[in-house]
Amino acid sequence: MTTQQSLLNQIADGIALVRDGMVARYGEKHPEWTWIHGLLADYFDTVRRAKGEGKTVAWVNFGAIPEVFWAMDIVPVVCDGVTGSACMVLPDGASKYIDLAEGVIPDHICGNNKFFVGAAMSGDISIPDMVVQQSSPCDSNLATYPVIAERFGASFFCVDVPYWRDEASFRYVAEEVKRLVSFLEEQTGRKMDFARLQQVMEYSNQAHDHILKLNELREASPYPYSSIETIAEYIPILALAGTPQLADYARRRYELTRDRVERGVGSLPREREKYRLAWIYGALAFDFGIMAWLEREYGAVSVAHMNNNFVMGPVEDLSNMDSVAMGLAHKLVDLPMGRECYGPWETYVGIMIDLCRRYRADAAVFAGHVACKHNWAIIKLVKDRIYDELGIPTLVFECDVYDPRVASSDDIKGKFDEFFETYFE
Amino acid sequence: MTVLRELRGLTEDLLNPTLAEWKADGGKVVGFFCCYVPEEILHAAGIMPYRLRAPHCTQTSSADVYMSHFNCSYVRSCLQFIYEGRFDFIDGYVFTSSCDQARRLYDVLRETTNGRFMHFLSVPHKVSQSSIAYYRDELARFREKLGDHFGVRVRDVDLQRSIEVYNETRKHLRALYQLRWADSPAITGTDVLNAMLAGTALPREHYNQLLVRLLAELQGTERVPDYRARLMIAGGGGCDDPAFIQTMEEMGGLVAGDSLCWGSRYFWQETEALEDDPLLALAAAYLERPACANMVDKVAERSDFIKEMVRCSNADGVVFQRLRYCDLWGGQLLDVEHKMRQSGIPLLTLEREYGTSSAGQLRTRIQAFLETLGR
Repeated sequence: MTTQQSLLNQIADGIALVRDGMVARYGEKHPEWTWIHGLLADYFDTVRRAKGEGKTVAWVNFGAIPEVFWAMDIVPVVCDGVTGSACMVLPDGASKYIDLAEGVIPDHICGNNKFFVGAAMSGDISIPDMVVQQSSPCDSNLATYPVIAERFGASFFCVDVPYWRDEASFRYVAEEVKRLVSFLEEQTGRKMDFARLQQVMEYSNQAHDHILKLNELREASPYPYSSIETIAEYIPILALAGTPQLADYARRRYELTRDRVERGVGSLPREREKYRLAWIYGALAFDFGIMAWLEREYGAVSVAHMNNNFVMGPVEDLSNMDSVAMGLAHKLVDLPMGRECYGPWETYVGIMIDLCRRYRADAAVFAGHVACKHNWAIIKLVKDRIYDELGIPTLVFECDVYDPRVASSDDIKGKFDEFFETYFE
Repeated sequence: MTVLRELRGLTEDLLNPTLAEWKADGGKVVGFFCCYVPEEILHAAGIMPYRLRAPHCTQTSSADVYMSHFNCSYVRSCLQFIYEGRFDFIDGYVFTSSCDQARRLYDVLRETTNGRFMHFLSVPHKVSQSSIAYYRDELARFREKLGDHFGVRVRDVDLQRSIEVYNETRKHLRALYQLRWADSPAITGTDVLNAMLAGTALPREHYNQLLVRLLAELQGTERVPDYRARLMIAGGGGCDDPAFIQTMEEMGGLVAGDSLCWGSRYFWQETEALEDDPLLALAAAYLERPACANMVDKVAERSDFIKEMVRCSNADGVVFQRLRYCDLWGGQLLDVEHKMRQSGIPLLTLEREYGTSSAGQLRTRIQAFLETLGR
């Protein structure tokens, strides 16, 4: 390993340690709690070994479609997953790299983007062969990924996503997906093996088919997941779509959850599940433990999260590249966050109202990542509409999901204390 | 200096006498926030395009009810003015997806105001044949909706004529910039911005006539007094305050060039005459011209354009300014700093709030920069 891999090594080692700890502690009683960490540990092991094994490496943002990368034997490093994992396992979280970045770009840019700017500047991570993003949902992504590529010498491609969700826009995105494939072919000097892509899509379809069924099962009370699992699935689903590992996880998770629902088993016993929370924004990467604290302290179970609201169905027609590209275009546009945070605000509030209604939320939580100007601009409208439609309150607070220096865990717990005191006690 | 004085007067407030006359005669005005809106389409419909500014906006309390303090002060200032009724002379608005701040303004305005025409243009974030074709179709929808709402039919021949009128503006503005680039120019940077701003609030034919008169007038006028250093100003939106430029010039700088959407990027590229499809011509021209930071495939070109403007204006240094919470131009800084350092071009980066053109801290930094330029 080169020193340039030291950051990814630290993260991969840290995630592996977490997995081992989970297995030792919960392996017998709650083996399912270890599955996600197993997936993540294996993923980061793949990521850290990629360069050494001579594989092509792409930094991708959360909405890029991993299927095309896996089909071409390119390792997609999902940036948001790396930053989130760094927050969990590095001694100083993401702060070292965020601070480095703030020497050259403004502090109000997203912590995830700052983390990668800082990491690239530090030399603690290898510059990838390419950087690939989609243009939605935010300026912070638009502002940094192409500049990182230009500044540090990686190839760059952007899948452009229009504001609208009409047929013309989906056709445009489908063409962009095909252009992405051409770009990857050009960069690697290899042609896409369509049979391989079909196989990858089969795995993706299997996973998403089970995820749709899981969404239904998760409506149950008591809630059959733990609160942390609600968000912990987000990155593995984004990064590993199209792999047999995710397909296998989704199937096992579905079978286990179906059994738990049939037996009426929840993360908390039914009598202790006092409140159901829907997180309509913000995954607190630096401390997901707050969700466990909410369960313990208030019997408040996080039953839904915008980021884990994967509702896209399988791509049905895998017979030719055009139909696969169109299916992937729909998938890309429908990925959580890209779907909610770009386009008219009605899309966002509509999906969040459905989410709260479907999972029978008693309250909504807007963990307002300070960099997300797009959603801060409409939160007043959103909060009011949720109240008007459903009669439930929304907790709104400022935070940086990658940096506890903006609002610490204690600060945020204090917000929840005030919220429960005001509305529920 | 009659034309210059007239131009200065036109930018002081939102309404000017010519615009008031236009309204009194029953003329329609449609406002927009971003230079990716092809004004030619509005012009061809007989509607006056009006680029929104909020000069002298001192507080945003009404806007802050809906938008947060993380949203840029330009957008919140415009929203404040709308809520205060300052833009009541405007008959509609056109929005774009150029940045998060402006696109959310469309949402907030739709929900909190009513009665006016509103349209949204999805601007692609890259330039390719298919993105130009996509934008062309967006413009076609815009033309149709505009026609339906205002009861006008915009024919291709009308668009051709409007393209000619706007190309004429671009030609005049190029000539104006040639004058400002001179070693001993006849016009200050402050007055160039005044001349640019006047065009955002006047019927276009009237504006073109003013520019012709201005150019003639400048041929025989005295040169601007001596200066300590020539500056080139670059960066993002919201740089529409002549007082900000004046601050730099009062301290001895001469703002001899720019890369701004209120400046050179607005007029740099003419629209090619495509007789069979003027909308396609507009889509191509607007996407291909020197790009805002919302265009992901133009990172290097943006920095190159800044260097080109430094060369044209023979600038001693670049002032790169942007509004706080503007991520797009904030990210571009990473490349700009690197490229300017590589090229040995001194760079001052300024983060501003809209409407605080001569705040003490800015003055201090500008003064220090001028001193480092050693002139």
